[in-house]
Amino acid sequence: MTDVPVSRIRNFSIIAHIDHGKSTLADRLLQVTGTVSAREMKEQFLDNMELERERGITIKLQAARMTYKAQDGQTYVLNLIDTPGHVDFSYEVSRSLAACEGALLVVDASQGVEAQTLANVYLALENNLEIIPVLNKIDLPGAEPDRVKQEIEEIVGLDCSGAVLASAKEGIGITDILESIVYLVPPPSDTVKERLRALIFDSYYDPYRGVIVYFRVMDGTVKKGDRVRLMASGKEYEIDELGVLSPNQIQVEELHAGEVGYLAAAIKAVEDARVGDTITLSTAPASIPLPGYTEAKPMVFCGLFPTDADQFEDLREALEKLRLNDAALQYEPETSSAMGFGFRCGFLGLLHMEIVQERLEREYDLDLITTAPSVVYKVTKLDEEEIYIDNPSLLPDPQYREKIEEPYVQVDMITPEEYVGTLMELSQSRRGMFKDMKYLAQGRTTLSYEIPLAEVVTDFFDQMKSRSRGYASMEYHLIGYRENPLVKLDILINGDRVDPLATIVHRDKAYYVGKALVEKLKELIPRHQFKIPLQASIGSRIVASEHIPALRKDVLAKCYGGDISRKKKLLQKQAKGKKRLKAIGTVDVPQEAFMAVLKL
Amino acid sequence: MSLPDRSSLSFSLDASDVDVADLGIPTAVYVHIPFCRRRCFYCDFPIAVVGDRPPLSRQENTDPRSFGTIEEYVEILCQEIRATLSGGRSLDTVFFGGGTPSLLTVEQLEQILITLDRQFSISANAEISMEIDPATFDLTYLQGCKAAGVNRVSLGVQAFQAELLAACGRTHTPDDIYAAIDMIHQVNLANFSLDLISGLPHQTGERWQDSLQKAIALAPTHLSVYDLTVEPGTAFDRWYQPGLAPLPSDETTAQMYRLAQQILTEANYDHYEVSNYAKSGYQCRHNRVYWENRSYYGFGMAAASYVTGQRFSRPRKRREYFQWVQELVCRGGAIDSPITPPTEMLLDTLMLGLRLAEGISLRDLAEKFGASVVEQVLICLQPYQMQGWVERSKATRQALNRLDAKIERGDRLRLTDPEGFLFSNVVLTTLFEQFT
Repeated sequence: MTDVPVSRIRNFSIIAHIDHGKSTLADRLLQVTGTVSAREMKEQFLDNMELERERGITIKLQAARMTYKAQDGQTYVLNLIDTPGHVDFSYEVSRSLAACEGALLVVDASQGVEAQTLANVYLALENNLEIIPVLNKIDLPGAEPDRVKQEIEEIVGLDCSGAVLASAKEGIGITDILESIVYLVPPPSDTVKERLRALIFDSYYDPYRGVIVYFRVMDGTVKKGDRVRLMASGKEYEIDELGVLSPNQIQVEELHAGEVGYLAAAIKAVEDARVGDTITLSTAPASIPLPGYTEAKPMVFCGLFPTDADQFEDLREALEKLRLNDAALQYEPETSSAMGFGFRCGFLGLLHMEIVQERLEREYDLDLITTAPSVVYKVTKLDEEEIYIDNPSLLPDPQYREKIEEPYVQVDMITPEEYVGTLMELSQSRRGMFKDMKYLAQGRTTLSYEIPLAEVVTDFFDQMKSRSRGYASMEYHLIGYRENPLVKLDILINGDRVDPLATIVHRDKAYYVGKALVEKLKELIPRHQFKIPLQASIGSRIVASEHIPALRKDVLAKCYGGDISRKKKLLQKQAKGKKRLKAIGTVDVPQEAFMAVLKL
Repeated sequence: MSLPDRSSLSFSLDASDVDVADLGIPTAVYVHIPFCRRRCFYCDFPIAVVGDRPPLSRQENTDPRSFGTIEEYVEILCQEIRATLSGGRSLDTVFFGGGTPSLLTVEQLEQILITLDRQFSISANAEISMEIDPATFDLTYLQGCKAAGVNRVSLGVQAFQAELLAACGRTHTPDDIYAAIDMIHQVNLANFSLDLISGLPHQTGERWQDSLQKAIALAPTHLSVYDLTVEPGTAFDRWYQPGLAPLPSDETTAQMYRLAQQILTEANYDHYEVSNYAKSGYQCRHNRVYWENRSYYGFGMAAASYVTGQRFSRPRKRREYFQWVQELVCRGGAIDSPITPPTEMLLDTLMLGLRLAEGISLRDLAEKFGASVVEQVLICLQPYQMQGWVERSKATRQALNRLDAKIERGDRLRLTDPEGFLFSNVVLTTLFEQFT
């Protein structure tokens, strides 16, 4: 790696909706710049796909350094910094963008701008990035670059006259993209002489080398062996290894302002080197850190309980290990009379929650019961004390509280016109307040609502997708807390109150939710040899009740030669289901029941 | 036709006679005849509906989409039999099931039996059973079947009320049932069984009792009494919801099950399997092979077989089955199917053996799978013993938890009748949970 002047560095990221071709384009750029050979490319591309399928969005190409000889005869260093593609991780996105001077806005020319893309474009604009529109997939018969250009201009307000027409798959327009990056994206400011400030935009835990930190040097110079301080965490480390990503890690001795690289310094957990933190030198520290650092704040909480009480310690260990690599994950032990010992866990959002759950079950082989997600409520007690409640069963009784406030988000949706009605209906049924609606080109519409987060973390996304036949997309961000007449709805199974099933709902919806919930539980809880009453109550008042009739028989009438395999499968299925039952008193409750409130 | 007369030879196989050293070479054959006049509303078997007209012969059948002729099917079936490797043991039971085997001509039936005899040799005292449906045969036909070697018939009665028969899509009437029984008596087929179904739409406790009493009055040697299962994909599945009208409630059908047990036991029928009753000496030897988890050959479309530890189900579609037979011939009769692993074998043994009133021999279980397996089974079934669903026969009602108690010969584990049988899935699910 040769030294490169700041004026010939370009740092950029790619903003794109899922399936609009981001990975293909990234791969193509690596290939055309000769960073990765065609043969390697194929392997890498496949590996990536597999990993992504395996682990959702957590695995990504974090950064890649490319050298590109431009048409002006000069050789440039282009650093591609990748961004996660989901709203749960918008903080990480904002830090990645802060490490860049420009961004490619990749839009599928046969589709158009999606809500998530839009949210990231706004983040890029906030960070003063030069945005280069790229219309991808122009080789497709359904491509309408003019319509999509018009749409980008209307929604984003971005001049699209210089938009690049490309097909990453076919290799069309790749050079144009590279040239645009060189000419349109400004070089980093030359602050090599200043004190070191480097922005952490990603990190992961490596069991052999400790945390590997990805950063962009904003000011000054950093060398291997330097003693550095992380300004937010206050911790100090000596750099064991310094390098660039090309995209494989290649060690270097020194990196200066404008460059992107990684370091290893025997850091024990990612929480010690969080995204957004500033790296400076211990010996000559910068006076102020880079702006924009915030600690990850969980928005959604749920209880995780092992089905088998013996797995509690395993669960603790697994969470500890996951946290090494996931600073946003919070957990603390929780005990429930119904569920035994487990953990109350906090997540950035629903996707984050699902990823963690999935990894615990698959990578750590745990059988878990997850309780329905809850948001964090702000409760003011009569003595004016404010407390935050992330577990509905802990809500103080009405006589002790003055008011409850709940978090609200602004939900922005982009949808074909014909689904506007049904999406408005959906938003209103979730206590949404209409904010704005705009008609875009070609019958597409943006729709904005303010909705309580609690109503969004249920099945809002699925509902939006199914009502729009998959065409609508959405994005949301927190806008603050608002007071509402909220009540705690308790569920009683066989006369026993079941804490993990308690929910906080709007007073006006309590009756409906209670009724729907007991009906759903009736479907989900298997019959027992006795009749099981199911009740929903607010305080001591029963608002809905149902019962599960007693099991009268459970027998396979016929079982002959040809039937054996089929009947056996039935029994195996039943046995498997039984393994995932949690005994609540004398009633065995299946895992899905604890999520029932999401499926009303 | 040179088969020996075996019409008078039929006896039940006592548990102690079970060949412990069953090497996986079958002495039982199941033959599937996948033709019916129409499909019953509860049926999900792979069959071809041939309608009320007698099936066309091959020369007349020019429609390439049709199922083809029964004649063609029988030829392919016989090819399959001839291609199958014989293990050198002669056949003790042959069972013609369907579908409606009585849609075969006597000649076709003979052809199949002769082919089986040449390939494997049918024992002189073999049980040769055939399912027959009322209104599908006449006296001459039945005589022909008997002459061909059939010595046990199972008549698909299902119910004795015209409305109930119509409601489940049967083609016959109560009169057809009586006519069929008359013919069975006339040809002196002493060993015959009747099938009945409880839990049919519009069926009531009284109607069920009526059917049971009418069945007893016909003095069959054997009765199969099935609680209706609404199988996915059937007409009933599309029309009804289990437990909801017009289907009787679970409470009612559970009562029907208990009623059958009571009435039939009083009439001297031994409730020897979850859904089967027999006069002394008339248990179905063929079906016991399944429940004792012994081997059997299977021939015909969709037929399952269990040979030398390999379970295999033939293709469920005619064309694929025909194709498969051609391949079998080319391979010289080898079936490439995995050997059932021990755990699966254990689960099969438990799931099937506990269907029998006599249950499973703990000694055999210990010999095959080890003493610790028996221990685990006993521990995991303790709660059900207390509930009165499971009992241990020998050692004078030894408590299940007396694990140190010596397992003696004849010490058996079984479900109680009727309560244990009624909840057998609950017990089995626990065992499956334990061993998977």
